[in-house]
Amino acid sequence: MSVVQLESVGKSFMRRDGEQLEVLRNIDLDVPERSIVALVGASGCGKSTLLNIVAGLIPPDQGTVYLNGQKSSAFRDWRSMTYMFQEDRLFPWRTTAQNIALGLEAAGMPRAERRDRVMQVLELVGLEKFADSFPHELSGGMRSRAALGRSLVTEPSILLMDEPFSKLDPSIRTQMHDEVLRIAALRQMSVLFVTHDVEEAVVLANKIVVLMPRPGRVKETREIDLPYPRNPLSPEVAEEVRLLRLSL
Amino acid sequence: MKRSPLQMTQDRRLRLIGLRLLLLIVVIGIWGIGSLGAPAFILPSPRRVFGVWTQLVITPGFWADFGITFYRIAMGFIFATVVGVVLGLLLGASRTLGDFFQPLLVVINTVSSSIWAIFALIWFGLSNWSTIFVVFMTAMPLILTNVWQGTSTVNRDFIELAQTFRMSRLQVLLKIYLPTILPQFFAGARLAFGFGARVSIVAEALGASSGIGYRLRQAADLVQTDQVFAWTLTLVILMIFIEAVLLKPLETRLFAWRKPRPA
Repeated sequence: MSVVQLESVGKSFMRRDGEQLEVLRNIDLDVPERSIVALVGASGCGKSTLLNIVAGLIPPDQGTVYLNGQKSSAFRDWRSMTYMFQEDRLFPWRTTAQNIALGLEAAGMPRAERRDRVMQVLELVGLEKFADSFPHELSGGMRSRAALGRSLVTEPSILLMDEPFSKLDPSIRTQMHDEVLRIAALRQMSVLFVTHDVEEAVVLANKIVVLMPRPGRVKETREIDLPYPRNPLSPEVAEEVRLLRLSL
Repeated sequence: MKRSPLQMTQDRRLRLIGLRLLLLIVVIGIWGIGSLGAPAFILPSPRRVFGVWTQLVITPGFWADFGITFYRIAMGFIFATVVGVVLGLLLGASRTLGDFFQPLLVVINTVSSSIWAIFALIWFGLSNWSTIFVVFMTAMPLILTNVWQGTSTVNRDFIELAQTFRMSRLQVLLKIYLPTILPQFFAGARLAFGFGARVSIVAEALGASSGIGYRLRQAADLVQTDQVFAWTLTLVILMIFIEAVLLKPLETRLFAWRKPRPA
């Protein structure tokens, strides 16, 4: 079964000068269970808008979104889906543990139960020692781990990510890729993410959807069958990266 | 030998305390010298004021007056905080409401506290409510303005994040808006408390039959200048006490998350 399925989704925005701007046209997309799907494309191809439509933050103008086989409009289990943004968006007044607990608080979970879940996640993302640190006391990589932890604590079946590691140093980015792969496998989680980094897409995804801009349309869908972990320096990965670059 | 940062902070602290003590001695010294050349009903000597003050503190009426003034300030301040925070959040949440009420706030801010005291006397007569009203009218616009401005600093990204977690409006208010405005609110509340406390004395002098302000006016009417000084001393001590024992530790505790400023 697909955890996310889009059928001919379209979206337009009204511009300031009153003209309609078509952002997405006729998008079909399928995220099978336990898969990792990357959306790649030049800026202006509506990648983030697409992700926001999947997350139910904005409604599509045309087409239908299915989540776990249910129409998005009838879908109620929104807490099984979390969203990781480009910026970590950690609240500066909360400690790491408190930031991670946010999703559980939103769901109204009692404090005692929250504690255990937060501890588990702190361990999962390797931040046990920084549970009581404030964001300004953490490095960029640790902040990114905290944000990942916040997205995991509600034990979602789908993780959406919008260029979550693009601001990190390359070596830390590689670490975060390993973490995402490990945790996605461990938690049997599906991941749908947006990136403009072709290598990131090839290293992480089983499926890459290439979008083209103005309006955003699906140009090509590529399946990547290479075994994990994928070394960016290996010839197979390099070849996929080359092919993907050509397609962009 | 190199000093550790902790020692250096301690050194700075000691130096500051020393300077404060020196200042106190200088001020009292000048006051003392000045009082030598003036009659006691113009400028009583520090020794005399201190004597009157120690006498004053042991009279039972003193604590009653002290208590009633503190009660009025506290009541006015609490009302001002509740109304100021709620209105500030409301005006911050709705642009239309904000634009609509903004001129009113300007008008309220231009009316002097003494004028509010006169209105209070007309409306509430010689009662607790006169002083409470004046403290309220002085403190509330300050708190409101600070909270209102604080709402505009709320991070849109955090609101979007809250939406992905399907947080309720109340949760967004409590978990995002409130912590965001807290530093600004605190700054406003501190200012408001100081203004409110000072203006409460004027209000009591005009429209009360008890409290520190009333005693001050009584003493002035009877040309008991040493009493006036003693009551003033009481007020100063009260304000310093509240600042040092209540507000400063509270602020340090509430804003522990803030990035320490580079020295």
